[in-house]
Amino acid sequence: MLLIGLGVLAVVLVLVYLAFYNTMISKKNQVTNVFATIDALLKKRFDLIPNLISSCQTYMNYEKGTLTQITELRTKAISGNLSDDQKVDLENQMTKLLGGIKIAFENYPDLKASQNFLQLQAALNEVEEQISAARRAYNASVTDYNNAVEMFPTNMIASSMGLAQKKVFEVPEEERKNVNVGELFKK
Amino acid sequence: MKSAEEFAKFFETSLQVPLAELEQKRKQIVFNIWISLLVAFGVLSLLSIFIGSAALIIFPIAALIVFLIVRFGFTKNYVQEFKDKVIRSIVAFIDPSLNYRSDGFIPMDTFMSSEIFKVYPDRYNGDDFVSGIVGKTQVTFSELHAEYKTETTDKDGHRQEYWHTIFKGLLVIADFNKNFEGKTVVLPDTAERLFGGFGKMLQSWNLMRGQLIQLEDPEFEKLFAVYGDNQVEARYILSTSLMKRIVDFKNKSGKQIYLSFVGSRIYVAISYSKSLFEPRVFKTLLDIRPAQEYFTDLELALGVVDDLNLNTRIWSKQ
Repeated sequence: MLLIGLGVLAVVLVLVYLAFYNTMISKKNQVTNVFATIDALLKKRFDLIPNLISSCQTYMNYEKGTLTQITELRTKAISGNLSDDQKVDLENQMTKLLGGIKIAFENYPDLKASQNFLQLQAALNEVEEQISAARRAYNASVTDYNNAVEMFPTNMIASSMGLAQKKVFEVPEEERKNVNVGELFKK
Repeated sequence: MKSAEEFAKFFETSLQVPLAELEQKRKQIVFNIWISLLVAFGVLSLLSIFIGSAALIIFPIAALIVFLIVRFGFTKNYVQEFKDKVIRSIVAFIDPSLNYRSDGFIPMDTFMSSEIFKVYPDRYNGDDFVSGIVGKTQVTFSELHAEYKTETTDKDGHRQEYWHTIFKGLLVIADFNKNFEGKTVVLPDTAERLFGGFGKMLQSWNLMRGQLIQLEDPEFEKLFAVYGDNQVEARYILSTSLMKRIVDFKNKSGKQIYLSFVGSRIYVAISYSKSLFEPRVFKTLLDIRPAQEYFTDLELALGVVDDLNLNTRIWSKQ
């Protein structure tokens, strides 16, 4: 009788363990999955850049430096072999540069009148909005995952699986500051 | 969008004449109803002399039937005329380019394709169909009432039908300003409290909704629950600013709001307990208050475009 009782208990414990184990795996994969989406969106943005540069170059005389920097970043990004952290870092730099150049567009009415450029600008806005959505999704899934890593009882399973907390996306310090338009034109 | 003051002026200049004409008809109808009731009362009183105390039971039922026949039979033309003259001109006042069909409504398959309501209606009708373009955005809406039926059979084999409302109110459909592929549904978070009794509805909601999407805006999360098939796309649609705008829209309307984003359109269902855009029968029409209500309800529906910023076309969808 006692033996059967112990047997049942063991089976229940194994099932509970499996359930928690699978929960952790699915949360971890969710994070990876969303990160892959960000990666894909970043690539989509990098693909827009050559067109953007060629449209702008004809008009923009004062932002040549920024345009070159953007091209360099893109080359670095598509060369591959980057860690996740490096990717995030590149993405942040790119966001900052593109933000600056977007403000500069305002000074070039000829550029803004070009149909080609308008389409490009819309595509860029779209991909940036998607990147921002993907970042939010990433942060939500990381928070969910981190909660599971820290909270009882999943924290015990997490430590036995060797799962550690992950970092959420943070807005880089520079992006939080108000954009200094004057500074941008000195480049 | 027109202001309340502009509407008051419009009421004075353009609605007084048709309303005064309709007021005559309304008085006639009320008179007819009283006469019919008196005649029915007389006939029943005579009958009761012959059939005795059984009349006590028949009497109230017969009176009710007579009343309903008279009420809806007499008012049919009156309602039609009211809609053609008054509601049509209020719609035109808001925006002359809008189309209005008093007997039209959003078809049931469109209602179902909104994905907001999963229960298939057994009875479906509506009226007051409005369509047009506001700024750059195609928009249509109509009043709808969708119901499903349940039946119970007692031990004697008597069947009893019950009708439950799935949705009653305005369904607004507009072209959304971003491209997307999946489905995202925003439901009131109080659904459980409101529809606790309707087990059928709750079940289908929970089982068929896809992933729960938890968003960052605490005020939004308190009011709504979001389900969708793609975590990133749902956030692409529900940007932080759109969440804020939806909360504001809900507060402004003071109603239960359901939204969905399907097939590059946005569906907004605004729940009402009363029937909309119907004329009063037992009170005067010459009062501005009911007219103001028609105006506010129409503006609320059309306001979806501006309130949710659908004319902002800075993404690749033009």
